[in-house]
Amino acid sequence: MIESERLTRRRIGLLAIAVLLVGGLLATPYRSELIGILGVGFFNTALTLSVPITLAGVGGLYAEKSGVINIGIEGLLIAGAFTSVLVTGISVDAVGAGSAVWLGMLAAVVVSTLGALLFGVICIRYKADQIIAGLAVWFVFLGLAPFFSRVYWGQINSPTVATFSEVPIPVLSEIPVLGRILFTNYPTTYLMLVIVPVAWYVLKFTSFGMWVRASGEHPEALDTAGVNVNRVRYISIMISGALSGIGGSALTLSTVGQFIGQGQTIVSGDGFIGIVAYLMGNYNPLATFGAAALFAGLDAYQVRMQQIGLDIAPELFGAIPYAAVIVVLVLFGYTRIPERAGENYESGDE
Amino acid sequence: MSGSGPNLPDRLERILGRMVDASTRERILISFASLALALAVGAVLLLLSGAVATCESPFLTLGGTQFCYNPIEVYRVMLNGAIGSPYSLGLTLRETTLLILAGVAVAVTFQAGIFNIGTQGQFIFGGLAGAAAVQYTASLVPANAIGGLVLFAFGMLVAGLAGALYGALPGVLLAYYDANEVITTIMLNFIAGAVAFTAVRSFLREGAAVQTALIPDHAVPPAILFPEASSFSVLIFIPTLLIAVGAHYMLKNSTLGYNIRLSGEQPAAAEYSGVDAKRVIVRTFTLSGLLGGLAGGVFVFMVLGYWQPSVPQVGFDGITVSVLAANNPLGVIPAAALFGVIKSGAIALDLTLGVPRQLAGVLRGIIILFVAMPEFMRMIGRNLGLGDSSSTAPAGTEANDD
Repeated sequence: MIESERLTRRRIGLLAIAVLLVGGLLATPYRSELIGILGVGFFNTALTLSVPITLAGVGGLYAEKSGVINIGIEGLLIAGAFTSVLVTGISVDAVGAGSAVWLGMLAAVVVSTLGALLFGVICIRYKADQIIAGLAVWFVFLGLAPFFSRVYWGQINSPTVATFSEVPIPVLSEIPVLGRILFTNYPTTYLMLVIVPVAWYVLKFTSFGMWVRASGEHPEALDTAGVNVNRVRYISIMISGALSGIGGSALTLSTVGQFIGQGQTIVSGDGFIGIVAYLMGNYNPLATFGAAALFAGLDAYQVRMQQIGLDIAPELFGAIPYAAVIVVLVLFGYTRIPERAGENYESGDE
Repeated sequence: MSGSGPNLPDRLERILGRMVDASTRERILISFASLALALAVGAVLLLLSGAVATCESPFLTLGGTQFCYNPIEVYRVMLNGAIGSPYSLGLTLRETTLLILAGVAVAVTFQAGIFNIGTQGQFIFGGLAGAAAVQYTASLVPANAIGGLVLFAFGMLVAGLAGALYGALPGVLLAYYDANEVITTIMLNFIAGAVAFTAVRSFLREGAAVQTALIPDHAVPPAILFPEASSFSVLIFIPTLLIAVGAHYMLKNSTLGYNIRLSGEQPAAAEYSGVDAKRVIVRTFTLSGLLGGLAGGVFVFMVLGYWQPSVPQVGFDGITVSVLAANNPLGVIPAAALFGVIKSGAIALDLTLGVPRQLAGVLRGIIILFVAMPEFMRMIGRNLGLGDSSSTAPAGTEANDD
């Protein structure tokens, strides 16, 4: 009762802030430009930007639902981003650009999945503190990727390699507006658009999805039912790795075609935003995509605002998505994490 | 450190045993073992990556494959580059100073069972605020030793306050709005970076580069004992050591320290015994932010001499240092020294052998990876027939579990 009343008040508060922000923006002399940003191209860009965040989020959600908090997602994205560029660059002469990018993505999936498996072994087999181990995974790849960049290319940023090109889907891309936003896009974006509903369906309606949920909530019950809890957790963690691999390659191979190793690398926080996205989406893949699209939209919006030359310091707008995360977290910080997430499960007969 | 048979660990254990209890002793052993294993894994990595790298004179050629990096040579150059001369020792101690402050900042929150990733943001704001304070007030005080001291004290005060305020923010958000601190602190790091960049670019910039004005020479703590070029001052280092020792005694003996530890180890018991959990959370975060801000101040006054947006990841290194030190402020001192050696050694390595300095980041990750697995270490220990198994089960996990 009290909880829902608080929630209502929070929703009203959030709405008020949103109205104020939009109103404030519209009151500026840049009104027409600010609205003009919201064209078809903007939504298309936002969708592209949402791919790594969404895939990181959906993967992280599976791991956490199964009882393992994977804070190392950021590191797995870095692994994917680096590997995809490396392999694409190596294989382009042998197989041509069209196939090289797919090889790059495949390699990214393999490496990120192996990285996730390593994390799983550390957490499950060796009972590590999941948060510390997750940070370690981040640190390892944050160090390894620029290290190998220097070893292989002699510099911290890779040269540019071949990229995916936008593939219009026949017929569907002819639909006005939606055709341009949804059906004229990179293959990685289509992959995401397929993965999200599948992930939702699997989690909600299949027996594997039920095992994942039970593994994080009532591992004993799952054990009693004869399902190996740790195996479910391993598979879920590897899903988070595989999706991070695709996400990482989408980040590098869909637009820039380059790995940037400076600072926090080209990934620069997308993995963490992905974690925030699934918390905000309350562990629902569809809602996670919604949250990720919102952040990506804010990000795309601030980039466009800089382009139209607002004379307020443009870099500050780069902070808007992060500030939005905090505001939303404060107002909706009630997400209930799975009962047994973060704990090890020891079956009686091992 | 490893490989000298069971004698050394045994003796080490006996010596340490007189000083510390069983669980702390195990943590220390785990930290040493993690370091040894990380160096071993790093050696394999160097060998493998040396096969991919191109170089003029490989140290080894096997069946047509050239290996560029000799791990033993790499580690030797690293150690020599870190402590081989007064200059390089100064560089190492300079890193160590920053890492002690950042490490203690993280350690106090970890002791309270709070996972704080926000030290980087507090470091950024502390440094920025310290530089800004001096930029605006430097002309108001005389340009002599006393004026310099006043500027320095004022700048550090502002740096510490800015860090404390920015640190208190996630504390308030956690205590009163139940907003997960892992997420808010990560977000606040990104925000600090963007806001600080904007502030320098729009308000504090002097000249073409995006950076603040130089700290006047008379406000820079003098380099004594070490060459001036190493930008290291013992006058900063000693107070930093005292802060670590002070934090240790604060946690052990003061009421706040007791409440912090109790909240971390037994949150339920803390509630029952009347500890105001919300207040403890905010105070812990504020204290942590103060230390993070001071680290930023030291970076500006002692290391760089001004502030610019791309700063090193001192806050993240602080997490590593704290984890390696089992969140004990006294343990932070050797852990910070170790990372100081790795970091400044890696830079020397880059310049001498051309091995990427990013090796330091890799070693950082691998060390934490092993520290995170006390169970793995116990298994190795049992297989090697080291140590006794009596003090095993709960010891390694208690410090970090919430």
